Amino acid sequence: METKNNWRAWLYLAPMLILMAVFTFYPLFNAFIISFYKDYQPLLNQRAPGMTLDNYSIVVNNYFFKQALKNTFTLAFISVPISIVLSLFIAVALNSIPRLKAFFQTIFFLPYVTNGIAVGMAFAVIFHRNYGLFNQFLSWFGVAPVDWIGSTATWGKQMTALMIFTIWDSLAFKILVFASGLTNIDKQYYDAARIDSASKWTIFKRITVPLLSPLILYISITSMIGALKAYNSIIALFGESLGGRPRDMITIVAFVYQYRADYANIGFYSYAAAGAIILFMITLAFTGLQTIVSRKRVHY
Amino acid sequence: MAEVYVKNELSYKAKKTIFHILVYAFLILITISVLIPFYWMLLTSVKTQVMIEQVPPLLFLKPADWEINNYKLLFEVVQSGPRRGQPLFPFFTYMKNTILVSVITTVGTTITTILAAYAFARLRFKGSNLVFVILIATMMIPGEIFILTNFLTVYRLGWYDVFNQTYWDAVLAMTIPFMTSVFYMFYLRQTFKQIPNELYFAAKVDGTTDFQYLWKIMVPVAMPTIVTIIILNSMGAWNAYIWPNMIATRDEYRLVSNGLRGAFTDSSTGRTDFGQQMASAVLVTVPLLILFFVFRKQIMRGVSRSGIKG
Amino acid sequence: MEIKMANLTKIFISKDKKEVHAVDHVDLTIPSGKLIGLLGPSGCGKSTTLYLIAGLLRQNEGEIFFADEEVSEMPPEKRGIGLVFQNYALYPHMTVRDNILFPLQNMKVPKQEAMERTQEMAALVGLEEMLNRKPKELSGGQQQRVAIARALVKKPRVLLLDEPLSNLDARLRLQTREEIKRIQRETGITTVFVTHDQEEAMSISDEIVVMKDGVIQQMGHPQEVYDAPVNLFVAKFLGNPQINVFEGEIKKGKIIVLNMEIATTDKPDQKIIVGIRPEGFMVDETKKSAFKFEVNLVETIGRDTTLIIDTPSDDETLLDKHSFKVIVDASYRIMSGDLVHFKVKPDKMHLFDLDGELLK
Repeated sequence: METKNNWRAWLYLAPMLILMAVFTFYPLFNAFIISFYKDYQPLLNQRAPGMTLDNYSIVVNNYFFKQALKNTFTLAFISVPISIVLSLFIAVALNSIPRLKAFFQTIFFLPYVTNGIAVGMAFAVIFHRNYGLFNQFLSWFGVAPVDWIGSTATWGKQMTALMIFTIWDSLAFKILVFASGLTNIDKQYYDAARIDSASKWTIFKRITVPLLSPLILYISITSMIGALKAYNSIIALFGESLGGRPRDMITIVAFVYQYRADYANIGFYSYAAAGAIILFMITLAFTGLQTIVSRKRVHY
Repeated sequence: MAEVYVKNELSYKAKKTIFHILVYAFLILITISVLIPFYWMLLTSVKTQVMIEQVPPLLFLKPADWEINNYKLLFEVVQSGPRRGQPLFPFFTYMKNTILVSVITTVGTTITTILAAYAFARLRFKGSNLVFVILIATMMIPGEIFILTNFLTVYRLGWYDVFNQTYWDAVLAMTIPFMTSVFYMFYLRQTFKQIPNELYFAAKVDGTTDFQYLWKIMVPVAMPTIVTIIILNSMGAWNAYIWPNMIATRDEYRLVSNGLRGAFTDSSTGRTDFGQQMASAVLVTVPLLILFFVFRKQIMRGVSRSGIKG
Repeated sequence: MEIKMANLTKIFISKDKKEVHAVDHVDLTIPSGKLIGLLGPSGCGKSTTLYLIAGLLRQNEGEIFFADEEVSEMPPEKRGIGLVFQNYALYPHMTVRDNILFPLQNMKVPKQEAMERTQEMAALVGLEEMLNRKPKELSGGQQQRVAIARALVKKPRVLLLDEPLSNLDARLRLQTREEIKRIQRETGITTVFVTHDQEEAMSISDEIVVMKDGVIQQMGHPQEVYDAPVNLFVAKFLGNPQINVFEGEIKKGKIIVLNMEIATTDKPDQKIIVGIRPEGFMVDETKKSAFKFEVNLVETIGRDTTLIIDTPSDDETLLDKHSFKVIVDASYRIMSGDLVHFKVKPDKMHLFDLDGELLK
């Protein structure tokens, strides 16, 4: 291929690079800077001279930030493993049936292509204390009505409802990806395993999961990062109040947006930036973890 | 011996049948769980307030009893509140905004993506690997970080003016920052790379320039991938919530997702009209589902590739 | 363990919705303790037959017996077979030890015994040093031996090998086929070996079975099949270089090829096809024989000389091609351009009717 087209290559890249310089690279850099500003007023572009770490200590000691960390991590560490295991089972089940595979796969994919807010509101109706479907369902097993998302709901109940919605919402993508990952596994391994008298469970445990492990790891990490950014699901289920009792279900992203929205208050924008940088660091740690684990464990 | 074999055979077949029944039962259970929210959304939207508040809840409703008043009310002009002078749920306004934003963003993204993917797939230049790696690395960064500064940038560009924001200010603010996608660029570059070099040399011999080659040969050959990118990208605007909420100063500039929440709660009583709320949810969900069923193959293929890439 | 197939039939539906009889009413008995080569060109149904024996495919018709037990409907894991796949199908994420242990764990063999048997198998195939390696750290030949060990460790009633040598390079292939023969001898297990390589099959098998279009053509000791093919297909399929095939005629007890008399016969007058093995020609130093040709090319390799001879006439006397090969002793010192007279060894010549069946 040609070698002397340096400037022409940059011309092709220019539209993307210029847009990204303005809306990706500069903001990334700027977020760090803002997080160290003193008494920043963003729209007026005024601030006290010098840099400070105070914003971070204020954020870290903020009650709502602690609540946000607790909520975010609880949500991520419970919903992600459950949805991964569940979607893996569903994908394997899909792969083992002789008929209707495409039909089931299409239905299972529906949550991915629907508006999260709209469906989240439907979940809110389902979780309604008095006339919700979920309490009705539980009553068939003799469970008394529970307030899941209302103003008297406990933290645990709200988290459970949020968890159910999050898992429901996130299954679609994982099922599709795992199902197509499964079809890429050489059928000979399954023939060999049958000849070796492996039971279905053994095949799942010792052939399918290990052979799929690079994909499982990749999906685990990306979903973990996705779950750490939870926000739309809280808006959908609880509205702008972020909880049955206001801010009960606040997440790191929600924290960032709350302080961003209050930009008129001196210094709040820097708190938002500090929160965003902390989130960035956490996701970076997970990405690093993926690199290390994938080097050590999953490759064969 | 023969008898032993017959027993074996029966138990084997029986086992297999039982296994299949269990698997289908499991899948049907999941199907029901997936469909219930959609069903409940639709059912609630055709219930009257009295039916909605009935305990225990009505699980079925004959089509004859469906109450379409909820839908009618959505389109009636209200006299008070933030949407004074507009319909209660300005669905067509939101749809128009959403489609406009979606089309502009998609056209922009497709163009920047094709040009950049071509440069990385076909042209050799100094620093190409470094730039490529840096771009890929940005996929790991949570978008929330960018929003803080982008809001200020949009403000400085004059697109966010609380008192004088025009419609096109809002549209620009909702589209320009989203006209790139590293992931789609990566995806398209892979497709471009699979196009054999011979095609390039043949075109050179025929006297085409690089630019002509890109549009006349690469793009048509990679069309299936580009179509997938266009479909997936245009669905993005339907789900955008945070950013349009942030930079649209007026209700009539917003997108469909923004219009859904909060609008059906009476601020004085705190009571939510679930029937109207669910009717609006149905209105927002149906176009997406239609789009999905029309382009089912492209969408599912595109999404499954995006998962496999790692 | 004797394997018996009766009326075995497998039908595939091709893309254009046609039925293809991959295995067509096959009756075959594989004697106990022998190594059998299932041989044929690609698409002849040999692999399908193997998969039917394994139970990975289900026949449309017919029965399969292992000794007296019918296994036709039995799932593969119950049949007690070991199968070596063409690509070995070693589990890439498991070590060699785990690969060999895997079937034993599934059969719930006690741990101690399983370890011992694994060790024993590794010794049999000469891989004791490699037990902790992963498949991708092994050469093709070593992977192949792991596959054999894995197939044998559960003491199967029958060992099935699907083109086990096709992924190895030429030198390794020779080595490995000796190895397979040795292992089969030592274990005495009934073994079916699928290959498209006639030389491989002939060198390793106790008996070979030649298949074509899902139908068994001939079965027997390799040399017997080679010496007495029942039809033209078998004659052509076995032997390298291939048998030379001429159009010919029987006239008054004389066999005529290219207007030359080559031998006599007691068969009635008719048009025939004459097959003569390359080694079936003798140089007639007396130059009396009427069967003579001008030699076009001479290739001498070691003790053999191959003569390549163009047929003198343009007509299609020689089926398929325009030249044929003759192998003679290198001591003759024949040069290209020489006119050579030949006699034909009667036991290296086979006469077929125009349908390719051996002349009765």
